[in-house]
Amino acid sequence: MSAPHTMRFNPASREELCAIIEDAHSHNQALRISGGATLKGIGGDVVAHRDLSLCTFTGIEEFEPGDLTIGARAGTTLTELSETLGAYRLTTPLDAPQPRIATLGGTLASGWLGPRRHRLGRSRDAVIGTEIVLANGRLAKSGGMVVKNVTGYDLSKLYIGSFGTLGVLARANLKLTPLPQCGRGLLARLPELSRGRAIERMRGLASQATAALIIDGFHREIDGEDGTDGRIFVLIESSQTTLELHTRDTRSALGQAGIPEAHIIDHLPVHQLQRIIDAVITNVGERSVTYRVLGDPLEHRLARDQIPTTLQHLDLKTEAILDVFNGDLFLRISDRDARAFASKLAELDDRIHDLLPRAIVIACAHPLREQLNLWGKHPLAFEKMLQLKSAFDPKNILNPGRFLGNSQRV
Amino acid sequence: MIRERLSDALGAGSVLYAPEDLAVYRFDGYATGATPGVVVLPQNTREVCAVMKIARDCGVPVVARGAGTGLCGGATPGPDAVVISFARMNRILELDVAHQRVRVQPGLVNLELSTNVAHNQLFYAPDPASQRSCTIGGNIGTNAGGPHCLAYGTTTSHVLGLEVVDEFGDIFHTHIDDIGYDLTGALVGGEGTLGLVTSAWLRLTRTPPAVRVWLASFNDIESASETVSAIIRSGIVPTALEMMDATIIAAVEAVYHAGYPTNAAAVLLIENAGFEEDMQQCEADLARICRDHSALSWRVATSQQERDALWLGRKSAAGAIGSLSPNYYIQDVTVPRSKLPQALRAVEHAVHANGLRVGNVFHAGDGNLHPLIMYDKRNAREVAAVVDAGTEILTTAIALGGTISGEHGIGSEKRETLGLVYSEDDLDPMLRLRNVFNASGYLNPEKIFPRGARCAEVQ
Repeated sequence: MSAPHTMRFNPASREELCAIIEDAHSHNQALRISGGATLKGIGGDVVAHRDLSLCTFTGIEEFEPGDLTIGARAGTTLTELSETLGAYRLTTPLDAPQPRIATLGGTLASGWLGPRRHRLGRSRDAVIGTEIVLANGRLAKSGGMVVKNVTGYDLSKLYIGSFGTLGVLARANLKLTPLPQCGRGLLARLPELSRGRAIERMRGLASQATAALIIDGFHREIDGEDGTDGRIFVLIESSQTTLELHTRDTRSALGQAGIPEAHIIDHLPVHQLQRIIDAVITNVGERSVTYRVLGDPLEHRLARDQIPTTLQHLDLKTEAILDVFNGDLFLRISDRDARAFASKLAELDDRIHDLLPRAIVIACAHPLREQLNLWGKHPLAFEKMLQLKSAFDPKNILNPGRFLGNSQRV
Repeated sequence: MIRERLSDALGAGSVLYAPEDLAVYRFDGYATGATPGVVVLPQNTREVCAVMKIARDCGVPVVARGAGTGLCGGATPGPDAVVISFARMNRILELDVAHQRVRVQPGLVNLELSTNVAHNQLFYAPDPASQRSCTIGGNIGTNAGGPHCLAYGTTTSHVLGLEVVDEFGDIFHTHIDDIGYDLTGALVGGEGTLGLVTSAWLRLTRTPPAVRVWLASFNDIESASETVSAIIRSGIVPTALEMMDATIIAAVEAVYHAGYPTNAAAVLLIENAGFEEDMQQCEADLARICRDHSALSWRVATSQQERDALWLGRKSAAGAIGSLSPNYYIQDVTVPRSKLPQALRAVEHAVHANGLRVGNVFHAGDGNLHPLIMYDKRNAREVAAVVDAGTEILTTAIALGGTISGEHGIGSEKRETLGLVYSEDDLDPMLRLRNVFNASGYLNPEKIFPRGARCAEVQ
């Protein structure tokens, strides 16, 4: 939470950005660093009296459509980026919630992973260069505007997913992917018994779709109305030539999994995908917590199926989104009222981590949020990570409390 | 003393120190280092830990080595160093077909991996030209590329997790799906200066339903390079897009008879993969673009045999140059793809101004140039001229918005030119990273960084 005497900084140039960080460094003052703050539900609260927002540091600085590369300032929104690229029928794998607000820098710093990554690659694969402001206020670049580069260490990888705790991202350069000619969505009701087969059949298809998500709940966010059915959404992106072929294959796979009817969405199917991506970080007032865990879809399906039983005595509602290709499982657990929820939070959190030790909290508006195990089990090589943090930010002024090793529960 | 301790730990059969045995470990594919003090051939991770602990105890640096095919002096030792050859750690440890991943030891030869998983309709995408001999560990060390990285990405996009022995001889693990800093990404391309990779989880790619290979020839190199830009601009990113100039065509045809037209100034070797229907459309589009850029000829490889022949020529080009010149030096720079015509002109100027000859064979789709500069190392003037031409090519690449290494690495070869690309401020976080993983400096010293480079806090 920001204290009343918090100083707010909104730099519009590299010079200002560097000067703000250098000043904080020389005065041993911690900085709370943010972009669009759409993913503020991830990680611990930052204890700082200086707010540094990158939202005013915007703009595309270099764009070479013929080279399939773009370089933009960290505060550029994902929508600005996608609109610029869309005019040239190009895209990136940066699929994140609320793209009108979410910034390039924030999306990369959070290491957010989108559902199209099994086809387009991860954001880490698309970033070919970065400019970072270190804790001492010095600007350092890594990589460049070329698509192949082994000149020195690949520091960009280190900054992606570091939540601004190693340095403040000022600019990122991305390699781009041509947009497919066509997109088509398939939306179907999903009987409980069909899930395992649906996952296997979809993953086994030669013409793998761009995204496939199994959704339980989230009706209000995704469908705009209440409901109880589970459903599967599949996004196919291909050339005009093969769209019907892929549609036929996908329908056949769903049919074999016991899903006879699929509704076709030909008008802007990516909007449907975006609604699902937006839904995963949506809170139910102050009475929900959402976890994300990466890994194996079949294992996660089994884990997801155990959750209602595991939490039965707590009388909570469980909603889930499972990414068929990438394995991401999003779980939103909610209660009827916030007060009752408070008394169940600690046990809920323990039970979830017993089942899914690497689950992290990605959304929770409850005042007791900080008492949750926000980052789950310690990562591999945790000690090395702490050493890195100490080497890059010895005064611990960059987003203290947000990330691993800083969070109170870790 | 160190030799005895290593022999005790690994067994005498895993430790080499006879002068004739050590001599071959002075070299990689580019440079000559000093004669190492000892070479060890560990068979498992535990032995690698033991070697690291003993070397550290004795105050001797350690240099990791795969097949020694590197082209930047990354695996060349300093005097008395311990060279760890991973030649005996060359097994596939676990194959997980359902999740398209495999765990391998670092000494596994790149091509053997694809060969071994082919019956599962899977392959390992990074394919350096030396893939018949280079190893996965070396590929990870240099973040190796290859022709098919245009569509599939370089090694770093295919490494899911690592088992690493650190500078203290202790083991740690990383995985890209784990929370926390992306140590996997930071360690790939570390050239043996950040740890010793003892196993790796790698991503395998599905064999596409259809593969097509085409060959287009051109009257001049400008038209060929403009065709490359036009292909990318049109929204086609083929799986490979390679260029060879007349010098290379002649050398390859003389030795390998790959079927390249010897009357052409340049050829483009293009491959794409996907569904048959998409490949038909792609073929029509590519043929039109090549025709629009005055292609001399356009050929479709209609059989696997024909495709293999065209690729064999490309992958053997460097070797074929041996028939034209006693020695050659391969430069490795990358420029933005649209700058290829200027870059090629600059290469020609740099080489000819220094009285030398050059052949160009490179990953055109990535803008990754590999001029092969021919010289005779017995001729001191030519040796000096190669260095001058190489430096001019580096500075030109930087001036065009490119960089000094696309896929070979920095090693000892380019460490003093790293400062052309990166300022002291840019190098500072790289040195911080190195100091976390290699504070002692025992891991592959005198590589990557210019002499005297230090991070801000210790200057």
